[in-house]
Parts: sequence; structure tokens; C-alpha cells
Amino acid sequence: MWREIGDREAGKIRPNAFANRFKRNRIESLQLSNHKDIVSAHRGSINSLQVDLTEGRYLLSGASDASVAAYDVQRPTEYEGNGIIGKHKCLFVVDRTHESGHQYAVSSAVWYPIDTGLFVTGSYDYHINVWDTNTTQVVTNFKMPGKVYKTAMSSLATSHMLIAAGTEDVQVRLCDIASGALAHTLSGHRDGVMTVEWSSSSEWVLVTGGCDGAIRFWDIRRAGCFLVLDQSQSQLGRRPPILDRSATNKVSSSKSSSPSPNLPVKARAAQRKLSNGSSMKQSPIAKIPAKGPLRQRLHPGMLSAQDRATAHYGAVTGLKVTEDGMHLLSAGSDSRLRLWDVESGRNTLVNFETVRLQTSKPMQLATSQNSALVFVPCMTTVKAFDMWSGRTDLTFRGHYECVNCCYFSFQDQELYTGGNDRQILVWSPSRLVYDEMDEGPHQDQDNWSD
Amino acid sequence: MAQNLQKERNDGERKKAQLKAAILIKFCLSVEKSLTFSDTMVALRIMRAQFPQIDKVSIQPFILQSQLYSSVKDRTRVDRDLESLKREKVLRIFKLNTGQDDHAIMFSEDYSSQIERVKKRSQEKKLGNLEVFEWFKTHVIDFKLEPSIEHHELWTLLSLGGKVKDEHISLLINAGLLTRQLIDPNMYWFTIPNIGSILKGISQGRKEVLSLLNRRRYKEMMLASLEKKHLRLSSLDMRFHLRDLIGSGHLKIVQTPTGLVVQVSKD
Repeated sequence: MWREIGDREAGKIRPNAFANRFKRNRIESLQLSNHKDIVSAHRGSINSLQVDLTEGRYLLSGASDASVAAYDVQRPTEYEGNGIIGKHKCLFVVDRTHESGHQYAVSSAVWYPIDTGLFVTGSYDYHINVWDTNTTQVVTNFKMPGKVYKTAMSSLATSHMLIAAGTEDVQVRLCDIASGALAHTLSGHRDGVMTVEWSSSSEWVLVTGGCDGAIRFWDIRRAGCFLVLDQSQSQLGRRPPILDRSATNKVSSSKSSSPSPNLPVKARAAQRKLSNGSSMKQSPIAKIPAKGPLRQRLHPGMLSAQDRATAHYGAVTGLKVTEDGMHLLSAGSDSRLRLWDVESGRNTLVNFETVRLQTSKPMQLATSQNSALVFVPCMTTVKAFDMWSGRTDLTFRGHYECVNCCYFSFQDQELYTGGNDRQILVWSPSRLVYDEMDEGPHQDQDNWSD
Repeated sequence: MAQNLQKERNDGERKKAQLKAAILIKFCLSVEKSLTFSDTMVALRIMRAQFPQIDKVSIQPFILQSQLYSSVKDRTRVDRDLESLKREKVLRIFKLNTGQDDHAIMFSEDYSSQIERVKKRSQEKKLGNLEVFEWFKTHVIDFKLEPSIEHHELWTLLSLGGKVKDEHISLLINAGLLTRQLIDPNMYWFTIPNIGSILKGISQGRKEVLSLLNRRRYKEMMLASLEKKHLRLSSLDMRFHLRDLIGSGHLKIVQTPTGLVVQVSKD
């Protein structure tokens, strides 16, 4: 390590590469933390975890006993075991006994992305509450027509303060904190919406995954979704090659007998007009069946509502957009994890070795910085898969029951996981390496230091 | 002279011992080799050749996708190879209803012969509207490579052959080439005809193998002795089920000094 620091100083390694190498070494040594312990204040299974985006210091957790608590993960409240283990107790907890607290399970608790003064919770009691952190009072609340599965706010938003809510109802609702009212609804799903995520590259793009197995991309400034992911549309690699794409615009293939892997298949033969399952961004005429039963005149944006392509053979239970906004990971109740290329809307066919995934609850996935690893809760373990090859790199076994959520903090390279056993576990890089560099092993008493 | 004779005898014995050792190593390797292959196509061909003979049902060989995962190391490569083979129309992938995400892979020529067989059986039963099989073969199978098809698209594709009536589609469903999807009444799955009893055999065989191993104290067994066991409820052989369960992750193979051991995986 000292040699690498010297190399960086001399300019042989670029600063980013040096930092990334160091971080990767730390991530590869992740294990159950032996110096940090979070004392869970919950009496129900933990459904949601999030560390705030501004400081990376406060962890917010929502549990099934309608309680929401926040912990300081950098400063322990007390020390134990000769000062080695830091215990982190909660800073505050809001539960059923609170005057405006939730009555049923809290499924999602997220910080306001700008600062930690507000946080938003969504619960199975059909309400979304916006809380003031310092006074722990509810500032605004929104009533939804069904159980709220997930709430999300965009971390890139500069011109809107919308909370996207996925509920049991088929419509995705956008709630505005500034006005305290519902901004608009997005329709297109045919069953409840279990996960919503904002895109990490555009403040206007929302990705939702439904219980009908469809993943839809919405631009909230327009009606209808602009992309529906279809698992049968695939590309054989991380990105579509540039050459093939420029060739498609000229060729109008008649029967698609030629295998062209990365082309959007638009077969328009002379005799027939077909309606294919995929609706691409620029398709003006999506589906107008020549002789079909229904003949409503639909708004062009709403034509996507008839698109029945599914991304999974069951419900979509988890979504994660990579940091650069170019790829999307989705977990489904068919126990598959799929990696999608957002730009082309295709399945990259990376096979993650998941055996079984939890199917009834939404789950929270996490990715490491630079998106090399993806952390997925698989029943009672959390597995880290290599994003591009699908191999299992690390397995974290520590929970006694199913794991529901995990969150990876980029700053400290620590992983926080919460599960049905009411525990929040911290997985940190092994401390021994750190100590060796700084102080030397404990048993070694220096006889020349005075 | 006596010394020379003795030396020759020792040499002979040593050679025999070496030969025995070589045969033993080859045998062990061949058991192991039957579990891992280098290439998807090689794996497909060999598994097709090893498909068990079933007397009661006449069905062409098919391979489960989980069996491929057990044999070829890199799963992503398997998926991508399957996708390109599917696009080249060398094989066809069907979704089965035996569980989450089960797929069957069949070579195109096998599937065509299966359709022929079904058509002949329908002819023997003296059912009408037999031209739909030809339309199905030439227009639908060639064009639609996905495992499911929408009602309207099916109608349009079949119309290329001639005037389509509802009876045509009912004939296809009765013959076992199409099934309605349970979730969506407008969508059909493509299926392999006559596969019903085999699907039942697959799911029951899986349960039987897992219960066999779960009943043991340490939930494991030597591969060599497991392979010799005969399954009561399934008409498919043990090797078929083992590959399927290893590929889907329910079982795992561990190298031990005495050989390969099959364990129930804990996750």
C-alpha cells in the first residue's frame, strides 16, 4: 500500500485509479463488523434502510411494527468491550404511539435528498407522511388508495419536489411536497406497483416495476411511458455495437430471417402489418391492429398502455439504476435478476446465480460505486454478484431470517442489511488491515517507545 | 538368469498395475467429464444423445435449461449462446409450467418431427381442418422465436396460409402445440405435444431426489451410489434429474478425497 501511495505521488497511478483500487480492496474484505454494532430499536422486521445522501452519516430505517428510527453510523453512542466495539443506539424512534405515526407496517423510509431536515415514510396504512426530523412531527401527509409499497424522491431534482409512490393501485402517483397535493398520476401498469426508482441521469425519468411483471420508464412531463422493457428483446453484450445500429435505419427487413442481434425488430412486410411487443422511443405508430375488437381513439402517449411486454415471469420486486444511469438491475419473483441496458431497452442476458429470492415483499438492492458489484438479499444471505459476468463474489451470512433490504454506503464502503429477524447488521472491511497500517498489532508492545 | 526372469515379472506386474491405475483414473475422469462440458453446443448435443428412452410416450429429446447451467461453467455465456442459436433457428425454447423459470430446449428438426407426428395422429382420428398444421409450421414457427404469442398475432400469421377459423386454433390447442396463459387470456404459450406426463415426472422426480437426500443424516450422498438408484415416480433417469437440480442450485457437488459427493445446498 505504501508503494501505491508513492506511485500516486510520483504520478505513476492516477488519483482515481488509486482511490478505486483501495476501495475495491476494502470491499473484497467485507465481513460482519467487529467494531460497529447498531442496536435496533424495532420490534418488527426491517423493511427499508437508507443512509442520507448529503453527509452519509444518518441511517434511516422503517420496520413492520410501524416504527421509523434514525441512527448515527459514524459516532457511536457508547463503547463496549474495552472501547473496541461501538454501539450505535437510535437518535429517535417514531412508532404507533406517536400522535401522527403510522398504524401499520412502514414499507419505505427515505430521506429528503437535499438535506436531513425532512424524511418521507410510506406505510401499509395507505398514508405517506413527510416528517420534520428535528421536531419529529408530521409536516404533510398524503392519502393513497392502497397500501404504499415504495416511495422515492429524485436526488437530481432541481425543479421539482415530487415523491413518487408505488401502491397496490395500478396508478403511480406523484405527490408534491411544495403544494401538499397530488401532482399527477401515471397509468399503464395492470397490477400494483411494487417498486419505483428515479433515474440517476435525468430528473424527469421515473422507472417503475409492477406486480404484472412489467418495467416501465416514464417521462413525467409527458403522458404515458416511453419504454416498456421486454425480456425477449435482448442484446448479446453490455452495449449495442455502433455499426449495426446505423445500418437498421436504412434496412426494412421483411421477415427478419436474417439474425441481426442488436436491431429493434420492425417487420413490415408488404402484405401484412404486424404489431410487435416492443415500443421504442421513436415509434410513432405503435399498435393499431387492423381487425381487432377495440377501436378507441387513444392519446398517442397512452398507446403504451396496450403494450403487454413483461420483464419478468412474475412480479418485479426490486429495481436499481446504476450510478451512471446506463444500466438497470431488476429482481423478480421468478427468482431471476436481470441487467438491462437503458439506452436500447434490452436485456443484456447476464445470468446471476440466484437460486431463490423473496417473492412477497419488495426488496432493496444496492450497488457498489462504479457498479462493479451488486448486493442482493437472497433469502437469509446477502450475495454480492459481479455485475457484468453474474458470478457470485461474496456471500454474507449473518441474519437468522430473510433479509429484506441492504444499503451500501459509498463513503465508508460499509454495507447495512436489515431483515425479518429485526436486526440491522453492519458489514465493514476488516479492521485488522487498517490497524496494521496505523498502529501495529495490539499484542506487540514496543520496547523502544517511552 | 533367475534375476532377469524376476525382473521381467516385476516389470509385467508393474505395467499391469499402471494399466489398472490408468483405467481407474479414466473412469473417474469420465464420471466427472460427464458433468462438465466446454461449450454450449457440445453440451446440448451430448445431452440430447443421453436423453432417456421412455416407452409409453413418444417424444423427441429435449434439454432443460437448468441442465445446461450445471454443465457449462459460465452461465452468462450459456444464455448468450442460446440466444444466438435461437436466432439462427437451430433450436427452440419453450417455457414449462413445472416451476419458476423452467425452460425446455429442443432442436428445430426434433420439433418439426414432433409436429408431424401430431399431425399424423390427428389424421388417424379423422379430424378436419388439418391444413392448420402446415400453416403453423411454415408461418408461425419460422417467424415467432419467443416462447409466447399473442392471439391477434397468431391469427394474422395463420391467415397467411388461408382463411382461419376458431376451430383451427382449437385444433392446435387440442393437439398440444399451444396453451392459453393463465394470467392473460389473449396470450398463448408454445408447448411440446405429449409432454404432460413427462412434466409430472420432472416435478415428482425432483421432489423424490431431494427427499432422498434430505432424509439422510448429513443430507449428502456419494455421486456414484446416487447415480445407481432408480426413481419410482419419474420415468426419466437419475442423471437427468441430477443435472437439473445441480443447475438450478438445489444441489451442489463437492470434491472429496473419496470422490464426488452430492449435497443439498443450504441457501
